[in-house]
Amino acid sequence: MEDWVVFRTWVGDLTQMIAEATVGQTRFHEYSDGVASVMTESIMAVTVFATIMGTILALLWIERKFFARIMDRRGATMALRSLWVGEGGQHADWYDDLPFGTGKPIRWLNNLLNEKAGNASDYETVHRTKDRGYHGVWWLLPGMIQNVADGMKFMTKEWMVPAKADKFIFEVAPFIIITSTVMIFAFIPLSSNIYSANPELSLLFMMAIFGIAPFGVFFAGWSSNNKYTLLGGIRSAAQLTAYEIPLLVTILSLAVISGSLNIIEIAEFQITSGVWNIFLLPLGAALFLITMVAEVERIPFDMPEAEAELVEGWWTEYGGMRWGLMFASEYLRCYAACLLFAIFFLGAWEMPFGDTITGIIPNQDLILGAIGVGLIGLAIGLRSEFPVLLAPVPLVFISVIPPTAWLLFKAWFMFAIFVWIRASLHRIRSDQILEFGWRWLLPLSLVNLAIAFWLRLSIWQGGEWPLLIPGLITAIALILFIILGMDEDKSAMEGRTRPYSVYTKSKGPASPRSHDR
Amino acid sequence: MPFHPHAQPNFRNMVIRPMWMALKAALRTIPYVGSHKLLAAHGTSAPYHAQEAQMIDEGTAARIGEDHPSVGKRYAVDRETSSLVPYLERPVTVMYPYERLEDLEPWLFVPGNYNGRIGVIWETCTACKACVKACPNSCLHMETETRVNVLDTTEEGDEWHGMGTELEVGGMAARRNEVDNSDHNLILDHSAVPQEYDFGSVIDITGETATVRWDGGGMEEVPAADLAPAEVDIMSGRIDIGRCMFCGLCMEACPFESFFMTNEYDGMSGYSREDLWYEADRTRVLPSVHQERVDAELVKRAEKELKKRERAKARAEA
Repeated sequence: MEDWVVFRTWVGDLTQMIAEATVGQTRFHEYSDGVASVMTESIMAVTVFATIMGTILALLWIERKFFARIMDRRGATMALRSLWVGEGGQHADWYDDLPFGTGKPIRWLNNLLNEKAGNASDYETVHRTKDRGYHGVWWLLPGMIQNVADGMKFMTKEWMVPAKADKFIFEVAPFIIITSTVMIFAFIPLSSNIYSANPELSLLFMMAIFGIAPFGVFFAGWSSNNKYTLLGGIRSAAQLTAYEIPLLVTILSLAVISGSLNIIEIAEFQITSGVWNIFLLPLGAALFLITMVAEVERIPFDMPEAEAELVEGWWTEYGGMRWGLMFASEYLRCYAACLLFAIFFLGAWEMPFGDTITGIIPNQDLILGAIGVGLIGLAIGLRSEFPVLLAPVPLVFISVIPPTAWLLFKAWFMFAIFVWIRASLHRIRSDQILEFGWRWLLPLSLVNLAIAFWLRLSIWQGGEWPLLIPGLITAIALILFIILGMDEDKSAMEGRTRPYSVYTKSKGPASPRSHDR
Repeated sequence: MPFHPHAQPNFRNMVIRPMWMALKAALRTIPYVGSHKLLAAHGTSAPYHAQEAQMIDEGTAARIGEDHPSVGKRYAVDRETSSLVPYLERPVTVMYPYERLEDLEPWLFVPGNYNGRIGVIWETCTACKACVKACPNSCLHMETETRVNVLDTTEEGDEWHGMGTELEVGGMAARRNEVDNSDHNLILDHSAVPQEYDFGSVIDITGETATVRWDGGGMEEVPAADLAPAEVDIMSGRIDIGRCMFCGLCMEACPFESFFMTNEYDGMSGYSREDLWYEADRTRVLPSVHQERVDAELVKRAEKELKKRERAKARAEA
């Protein structure tokens, strides 16, 4: 399916036009193209940065809300909804103060939302719980404003350097971490024509920059002159080194299978060859996921900042905005990992079953017509008692969702899996982490590389993949997963012996009745 | 080493099972999806959430009564919205100081045996200090003073003679001593005024002589006429709730059922540590709240008093 959001072309045309209309009219007209390209690149860089920074809020939201659902202890979920619902029978009415009746559409929308998602409920208990007292306007602020408050707090905090710290390194370490983290996003394409930089070997550039932050981590841990940070830094260095190598070998397998070291070409290869990499290299996907979780130091691999034993690990001594930015860079690295997984394995910005859907709606004009029909259907459907009418609407909309949105959806889905892992698994011991990395992941990544070579050299004949091969590989992976999942020690089940040695010397009766038997 | 089957460190137990459990918990919170039978509670087929509302204990059920709107309703309060758009979220936050959970979801309310704020029925307290001795954190402070009631100091021929209490075995007794405290200088002497009485506890009364163990030491038989009955009065009963760990040993130590751990969880905050020093008035439990306890204690004491008077009457007749 065609990518209709050709943003880079639009920006290029616009800047070309501007440059020709301004510089082009002066005696510096031969620099017109240069000015245009500088403007284009600047706009693209700002666009990518703003998109990443804006959409990273979704990560925070997933981290809070999905985690809360897993723990079944959702907290304040009232803020945003309170804008339309109001409390205790008092609806919001701020839109009535807007001039020239501009608030009327908002009032209409508000009434609709109140009607459909308001306080009324069939269940009396529900109704009673939702009918809250009105406690003033401050309770109605959306929760996202808390982020601004936190940012302000970090900004105004005192910057303290420990007396015996290595001050220069201590000051430099956060900048190494933050700048290298932000630079990762220069090479992450958001679609085939929304990217900040696209050198020939962007994969190498990007992974090189991804590997810089561990230095900053180790600098921070060492220079703080604190045993906790030092331990955290050492653990971090050991862990990141151990997992960097399988990660790079796994990424090498992607380069092999795609025949390119350019990220955009790796992404496009999945689209043109018709099969996402996860179906060709499921082992590689698993390796990439595990190593990336370890690289961004999330549970179960967050030994470097194990808060139960190391206070806060290598960043214990940092405070204020430097701490805030390092925390943000943790999330940025995480976001980068999710985006890279989506780009490398989940078909990047391709819509799932995109070809099938465009087969159903072959004509772009038809799509636009269908949008109109869909909007009308949506209006009817919301008003009716039969939301089944809404069913075709997503199908229509789904075909015009821009590729960037697909990429972001996939990245958010991956982050949900990160959160799921974090909520489920234990933090594992440092030596176990290293053993797992060196003795399992490294050989497995070499096996994965061999599979990639085999696929590229023996199977792929140019054009599209024969569908039998990815199907077979996926089936084998699923079967292996199920076999591993059924792994259960039958003898232990039959023995029913207690864990650890907790027997007393004379066992005695388990219960008073035991004497009778 | 033998492992418990679910403690085997294998892929199934370390990864698959915990992840499935976490996902199940998350899916259960979603309307419609959460009521699928795959996600039912272990060993049942009913939806995990959206079950009948059941009060946590009989006390709560009795407290909210039969007419309460939540009786017989589904436990679905924080799971469901309107029928059309069930996935939109509703507020589930109880804005605590303004709203209280027990008003919204009484079946989640604190059970009766929860150790909350300390409450004392001062009306039935005898100042035995069993609670003070029991407290491991020494957060209870009780100051008492042994005193002679002014009614007991009357002499033969006074208008109010005979209206006071009588000397009794097990009680306190006081004897006026020879101390002359008339020239005690209240302004310059940095010490308490010497007591005009020696205090002791009555061990035995035979006829007109009473056996007294003096607080200062020594046992003595003295004529009962020289003695006046004394009593222990509570000067202050202060509880430092900031040091309290709510273990409830004080409540268990109380022989008169005057000391309670209520199940109230609020009203224990303040702006300073001094705010957490509860004087007697802040720990007071009104008799109306624990009327049964107070009534029982009063009946007990009234019967004791009646018996005593009957005995005294019989002795007088004999």
